[in-house]
Amino acid sequence: MVRFTAAALAAAFVVFAPQAQAQVPQGYPADYSKIVDAAKKEGKVVVYSTTDSASANALIQDFQKLYPGVTVEYSDLNSTELYNRFIAEAASGSGTGDVTWSSAMDLQVKLAADGYALTYDSPEIPSLPKWAVFKNQAFGTTYEPITFVYNKRLVPAEDVPQSHADFVKLLNAKPDFYKGKVTAYDPERSGVGYLFVNQDVANWPQAWDLFKAFGKENIKLYTSAGAMMERVTSGEHLVAYGIFGSYALSRSHKDPNLGIVMPKDYTLVTSRVAFISAKAKNPNAAKLFLDYILSKRGQEIIANKAELYSLRSDVTGEATLKKVEELIGDKARPVPINAALLEALNQTKRLTFLKKWQAAMKGQ
Amino acid sequence: MRFGWYRFLVIAVAAVAVLAPLVLVFYQSFLDAPFFQPVTHFSLEAYSFILGESDFWDAFVTTLLIGAGMTAIAVPLGAILAFLIVRTDLPGRGWLEPVILVPIFVSAIVLAFGYVVALGPVGIFSIMVKSWIGFVPWNIYSLVSIAVVAGLMHVPHVYLYTAAALRGLGTDLEEAARVIGANPWRVAIHVSLPMVMPAILFAAVLVFFLGFELFGIPLVLGDPQGILVLSTYLYKLTNLLGVPSYQLMAVVVVAIVVVTLPLIYLQRRLLRQSQRYVSMRGKGQRAAPLRLGRWRWPAFVFIALWFLVTVVLPLAGITLRSFVVTWGEGVKLADVLTLDHYRALLNFPNIERGILNTLAIGTIGGAFAVVGYTLVALAIHRWNSGWVRFVDYIVMLPRAMPGIVAGLALLWVFLFFKPISPLRSTLVSLWLAYTIVWFAYGMRLISGTLLQVAPELEEAARTVGASEARVMRDVSVPLIRYGMIASWLLIFLIFVREYSTGIYLLGPGTEVIGSLLVSLWGTGDVDLVSALSVINVAMIGIGLAIAVRLGVRLHA
Repeated sequence: MVRFTAAALAAAFVVFAPQAQAQVPQGYPADYSKIVDAAKKEGKVVVYSTTDSASANALIQDFQKLYPGVTVEYSDLNSTELYNRFIAEAASGSGTGDVTWSSAMDLQVKLAADGYALTYDSPEIPSLPKWAVFKNQAFGTTYEPITFVYNKRLVPAEDVPQSHADFVKLLNAKPDFYKGKVTAYDPERSGVGYLFVNQDVANWPQAWDLFKAFGKENIKLYTSAGAMMERVTSGEHLVAYGIFGSYALSRSHKDPNLGIVMPKDYTLVTSRVAFISAKAKNPNAAKLFLDYILSKRGQEIIANKAELYSLRSDVTGEATLKKVEELIGDKARPVPINAALLEALNQTKRLTFLKKWQAAMKGQ
Repeated sequence: MRFGWYRFLVIAVAAVAVLAPLVLVFYQSFLDAPFFQPVTHFSLEAYSFILGESDFWDAFVTTLLIGAGMTAIAVPLGAILAFLIVRTDLPGRGWLEPVILVPIFVSAIVLAFGYVVALGPVGIFSIMVKSWIGFVPWNIYSLVSIAVVAGLMHVPHVYLYTAAALRGLGTDLEEAARVIGANPWRVAIHVSLPMVMPAILFAAVLVFFLGFELFGIPLVLGDPQGILVLSTYLYKLTNLLGVPSYQLMAVVVVAIVVVTLPLIYLQRRLLRQSQRYVSMRGKGQRAAPLRLGRWRWPAFVFIALWFLVTVVLPLAGITLRSFVVTWGEGVKLADVLTLDHYRALLNFPNIERGILNTLAIGTIGGAFAVVGYTLVALAIHRWNSGWVRFVDYIVMLPRAMPGIVAGLALLWVFLFFKPISPLRSTLVSLWLAYTIVWFAYGMRLISGTLLQVAPELEEAARTVGASEARVMRDVSVPLIRYGMIASWLLIFLIFVREYSTGIYLLGPGTEVIGSLLVSLWGTGDVDLVSALSVINVAMIGIGLAIAVRLGVRLHA
C-alpha cells in the first residue's frame, strides 16, 4: 500500500512536472540528475543482503524518502545462500539482485573478480578509505571491529583480556576456570570464522599459540554470532573470541551483562562489501542505492540507527571509524578489499590451513 | 476423460515434479563445476573426494547411530501410547490424541533452542536441579541426548501408524486374554502389539529414514561438541573449500538416496504384509475399552512425563526466553522480565506480511496440496499395477534430500526450466516446493482414508454400470471428505512450521515466518527469534484447538 502510494506520487510528479530536474546530492556532478531520472523510470532496486531487514530498515526508509519513486526490494539471506542464488540467477539470465551487499568479503571479491560486478566511478569514492575500494567495482560500506565479548557478571574484571597477547596469558594462567568456557566461530564450518583466523595469522606472529591454547582449553566452536552471544550472556560460556562489534554493540544495549573489548594490540576490522551486478536490470537505481549507502547521509544511519559502524571519517557517533580510532589509536587493521582475499579461497591453501587448525584444536 | 489417461497423466506430473530436482542433483554429482556454468566436464572427482573424507564417514556413522537410537526409543513408546489411547480406559484419552501429535508440528530448531534455555548447562531447570543436588545430571549436547530428543519427538509418527492399525483390528482376542486374567501390560505385549507388528515395523523404518534428514536438533545441540550428521556435514562442506561446491553436496545426496532405496523396498514389503493382516481380521465391533484398573493413573503419568520432556520443557524455555532480557547463571529472572521483544516485533518490517503469507501458504496452499495428493492417491487407488510401486518410490524420494539441498535444487528447476520461471518469485513456487517435500506424508494421510472405504461400495457402483471416474467422483471422494478435511488441517500445521525448503525461493513480498527466523538467527537477534517462535507456536496451537473443537479426527 505504502509502496503503491509512493509509486503513484512519483508518477504524478513525472506527469505534472516534466521539466523539473531531479535534485542532485551536494557535491555530485551535475549530470547525476540523469541517473536519478533514469532510476525513477526503473522504479525499483533489488538488493540481496546479509544484513537482516530489521537492521537495514532505517536505511531503506530513508533512501526511499530521498528518492521517492524508487522502491527498495530487499531480500536478506545468509552469505552462502546469497552467493548460490546470485550465481545461479545470473547464469539463467532471469534477473538477480541489482546490488549485492554481503559480509562475506572474500566471496564478494571473487564475484567481482569473476566479472559479475559493474565498474562504476561512484562520486563517493574520494570520501572512502583507499583499502575499501576494489577496482571501482566492489566497495566497503562499514567498519566493523572484530571484538572479544565477555560476561560481565561472571568474568572477574581483572581477567578481561585487553589484547590478543592477554588472551593467551589468561588461558595459561587460569586453565581450569576457562576450560570449555571460551567460544569462537568455527573456521571449518563458517566462512567468516575462516576469514578471521586467517587474518589473525597474517597480522600477528603468535596467533598459532593462541589457537593451541584454545585447543587445550577445549574451546567451543559455533557457526552463528547469535548462538555464541546467547551462551556468553547466559554464563554457559564466559568469553567469545572474534565477534562482529556491530552485533555485540546492539546486543549490549539490550543486555548490560555483555562486555565488549577491542583488543589493544590490534583489532581486525571487516567491512560489508557491496557491488552493482554487471547485468543489473535496474542499473541506475542500483547506482543511487550504492552511492546512498556510501554517502554521509546513509553512513550516518549505518552508524547511529543500524549500528553497523560507519567507515567515513566525517561521521560521528558510537559506531564509527572515528570512535574506534579514539579507543585503539592506530591499532585498527582493516581487511583490505583486494585480490589477496582470493587467496583465502585457494582450495589447497585452505585445506592446508585447516589441517593446521585441526592440529591446534588438539593442542598440538 | 478416460480413466486410464487420467492415471498416467497424474503419475507423469508427479514424477516430473519429484524427479526434476533429483535428476539435476545426480547430474551435478558427475560434473566438475556448477552445471549451469559455460564450461563443465564429466568427472568422478567429487565421489573420490567425499569417499576419502573422514568427516563424511564420521557423519555417516553418526547419522546411522542417531537413526538407530531414535528408532529404538520412538518405536516402543509410540506403540504403547497407541495401545493405551486406542484400547484402554485411560483418563482423558479424548483430548490426549491431538496433544500427542504436537511434536510433529513444532519446528525442530525452535524446540532444540528451547532445550538449550531449559536444560542446557546453565538452563533454567538445570540451575534449579543443581541447587538441589549440587550438579547437573545430564548433558544435552551429547550424541545420546540428540538421539533421545529426536526419538521422543518422533513418537507421534509411530503412534499414528500403530493406532491406525489397532483401530482396524477386532478386540475379541484382547478381551479373551483379559477374561483369563492377563493384566493390561501382558495384553499389550503378547496380544495387541504382535497383531499390528507389521505396522510397527513399517513405522520403525520410517523413523529410521527420517533420521537422515534431521537438521534442527543436531544443528543446535550438536554445535558445541562439533557433532556432525549428514545434513549438518553439508554445511561444513560448503565452507571447506571456501566456495560452495555443488558436486560435493550432490554426492552426499546420492549417498543418502542409495541408503534410502532399500529402506523404501523394506517398507513396501512390510506394508503389504500389514494389509494382509488387517484383511484377515474381519470387522470387529467396537467393544468396551479394556479396563486398566489400578494401572490407569500410572499410565496417564507415563504419558504426561513424555509430554513434559518432549514439549512442555522446550516450549517453556523458548517462551520464557521471549520475556526476558537475559538468563542463565546468576540471573534473577524477576529482575529481567520485559515485553520489549514483542514491542520490537511490532516495528519489524514485513512482519505482518510474513504472518499473512505463512497463514496463506498453510490454509490455501494446504488445501491445494490436499487436492494434489488426493488426485495422485485416487490414480493408484486399488490398482494392481507395477506403476503403483513406481509411485511408492517417487513419493518417498524427495525426503532423501536434506532441506538445504532440496531448496537449492528447486531453485535450479525454477531458474532453468523456462516455462515455470515466471512463478519463481511468487508464493506458488514456495507452495510447490512444500508440496513436493511433504509428498510422502500427505499421500499417507489420503491413501489411509481411501483404504477405509470398503471396496464393496465401489464395486456396487461399478456393478450398476458406473465408469471408473464416476465411482471416484460419486462414491470414493464424497466418502473421504472428512478425511480430506483432517488432512488439510495436518498439512496446514506442517506448512506453517516449514522453512528450510523455501529458503532460496523467498523474496521481497513472499517472506514467511520461518525465513524471518532463520535470517534473524544468523545475525544473533535471539530476542526477536524467541518472540517470533512463540507467535509461530501460538498459530499452530490455535490451529490444533480449532481442530479439536470442530471434532476433526486427527487419525485420518
